[in-house]
Amino acid sequence: METELLTETALERRAPRRTGPRLEPPRRRRRLRLPPAFYTTWESLRIALSSLRANKLRTALTLVGVVVGVAAVIAVVTIIKGLDQTVASTFSSQGSTVFTISKRPSVITSREDFIRFNRRKDVTQDDAESIARLCNLCWRTGIAANAQATVKAGDRSSEGVRIRGLTLSMFAIEDAVVEAGRQWTDVEEAAGRDVAVIGPDVVDNLFDGAPFDRVVGRQVRVEGRSYEVVGVTERLGKIFGFSRDNFVEIPYPTFKKAFTARTSLIAFIQVPEEAQLTAAEDQARAIMRNRRGKTFREEEDGFTLETQDVFIDLYKSATANIYVVTIGVAAISLVVGGIVVMNIMLVSVTERTREIGIRKAVGASRRDILLQFLIEAVVITSIGGLLGVGFGFALAFVLAKAMGFPLLFSAGSAILGVSVSSAVGIASGLWPAWKASKLDPIEALRAE
Amino acid sequence: MESPATIEPRALEHGDLLAHDAVPAALISMRDIWKTYEMGEEPLHALRGVSFDVQRGEYLAIIGPSGSGKSTLMNLIGCLDTPSQGRYWINGKLVSEMDDDELAHIRNKEIGFVFQTFNLLARATALHNVELPLIYAGISSADRHERAKNALSSVELSDRMMHRPNELSGGQRQRVAIARALVNHPSLLLADEPTGALDSHTSIEIMNLFERLHAEGNTIIVVTHEPDIASRAHRVIAIRDGQIEKDEKIR
Repeated sequence: METELLTETALERRAPRRTGPRLEPPRRRRRLRLPPAFYTTWESLRIALSSLRANKLRTALTLVGVVVGVAAVIAVVTIIKGLDQTVASTFSSQGSTVFTISKRPSVITSREDFIRFNRRKDVTQDDAESIARLCNLCWRTGIAANAQATVKAGDRSSEGVRIRGLTLSMFAIEDAVVEAGRQWTDVEEAAGRDVAVIGPDVVDNLFDGAPFDRVVGRQVRVEGRSYEVVGVTERLGKIFGFSRDNFVEIPYPTFKKAFTARTSLIAFIQVPEEAQLTAAEDQARAIMRNRRGKTFREEEDGFTLETQDVFIDLYKSATANIYVVTIGVAAISLVVGGIVVMNIMLVSVTERTREIGIRKAVGASRRDILLQFLIEAVVITSIGGLLGVGFGFALAFVLAKAMGFPLLFSAGSAILGVSVSSAVGIASGLWPAWKASKLDPIEALRAE
Repeated sequence: MESPATIEPRALEHGDLLAHDAVPAALISMRDIWKTYEMGEEPLHALRGVSFDVQRGEYLAIIGPSGSGKSTLMNLIGCLDTPSQGRYWINGKLVSEMDDDELAHIRNKEIGFVFQTFNLLARATALHNVELPLIYAGISSADRHERAKNALSSVELSDRMMHRPNELSGGQRQRVAIARALVNHPSLLLADEPTGALDSHTSIEIMNLFERLHAEGNTIIVVTHEPDIASRAHRVIAIRDGQIEKDEKIR
């Protein structure tokens, strides 16, 4: 059809009609000729924008559904990408060469489980020492015991600080970097001296963020006991909104003296290579079962052996759920948004019946009219999509700031957002546009 | 070359061109045009076998009381509709058998409409209104501007190009509509009660403009029920009850 139009026009230019109006002499032009569809499409775009401008409030209301849908997807995808990176960098620092043995799993999902795990024996220093002695595949073994307490320095105090009783080997296992000062020594640990390595948050909260090296040598008090700060670790930042820098680490023997009530500890075991992890786990499990007096047949270990995969699995299942919910929310808002757009387009077709009649009278084909309204619908939803991408990124930005994870803007999700909204435009504009294109020009010209 | 004697004689079929009405030379050629509307039980015959020719350069008025079939005839001439029966050629093209999109193309190329109520796009400037047929003809915007400007100046509206219809008087609006009708060099200017919405002074102005356009070589058909307007034409066809009652040259 386009070629036909072109050749016809070309013929006419070569041999102008003899009769007909003579408003101006026919002229030869050497301008670039684009296919006629280009001009009608451009006209459609122009019409779409001018009719959207003419009905600003209506356009804005029409957009809400699409904006919400796209914004939800963009925000969630951006946030989760940021979290993914945080999680990846956090867990890969310890890597999958470490496993732990503890009384309770890190993740407990029911009250019954909690009660059951609580009945287990505590994991003790003896347990950890036996593993260190008997497990020949285990490279490093460390002990960590945790408590929460208020930490004071001078007249300042900070509540809910994590107090960790560690063996020196834990610094190596956790790959911790002491930025100022030093770790405690073997001698200090063996003697149960009151020394501490503190996290940057404690420096911020108790020493007004003084330079770390000025804090070394000062005292902090925990539950009435004074500790000399020997080192400050490097700043790790937040994960999921929780700081990883708010802690006081003291030698495990010291911890035992100060926090007698909390006796169950976590044994950390590291192997040199990831490939040896399973074998080492088997050895450690056998040693522990033996210590718990478990027979070969008994299923229950009486302790929990886990790797960081637990956290990664938990994280993955959480994000998978978030994705599903988001996609659901987005789908619903896009469908509702699409219906609203369709409704508005039908109103628009009715309102502009006469315009359609005029356009048809002067030569607009069905395809021209169809395209006009389709383009209008797509323009509406694409604007919605763009706004949605903007709002989504803005929301992600605010949340990322608040929770402290890196912001990863992905062009892919922006393109996806805009294309999905354009697709919604096509889907919801098709029927109104088809209706408009089918209008009888005579009837349409008579419309008010 | 085959000689005519070798052609097998066969029965005449609908749609065959007969020797005497092979593609007509006239600009408009209507042959036995019927238009029937199915309204309830009784079919309503709006047109009952209308035939006439219009030559290039003619100035024709079609008159008739309301309900005579005048509007139906106008819609057919304007290629807004197709006849139920009969054949209609415009500029050598058989339009009575065309589909919607082909008709749109013919309207764009061959016909310039002038309506009683102007039918301009309210939100568009005079210039853009005049450009409209050129857009659907696929003309580039630079050419469009130039041609639309020329058309507007030929109806003496060069100083109103950027005005919207609601900023123009009735006579000016109708002149914009005439510029739009002429901008794509159609074969035929088809006006439906062009002065119906205008006062008598402006009506005379518009009819003078038509006269000038006719003198410049345009073919014009005016559909009207006003004898004054019809009397400006050179030929008048009177329609009554769906048939041609009278067809006379008056100048």
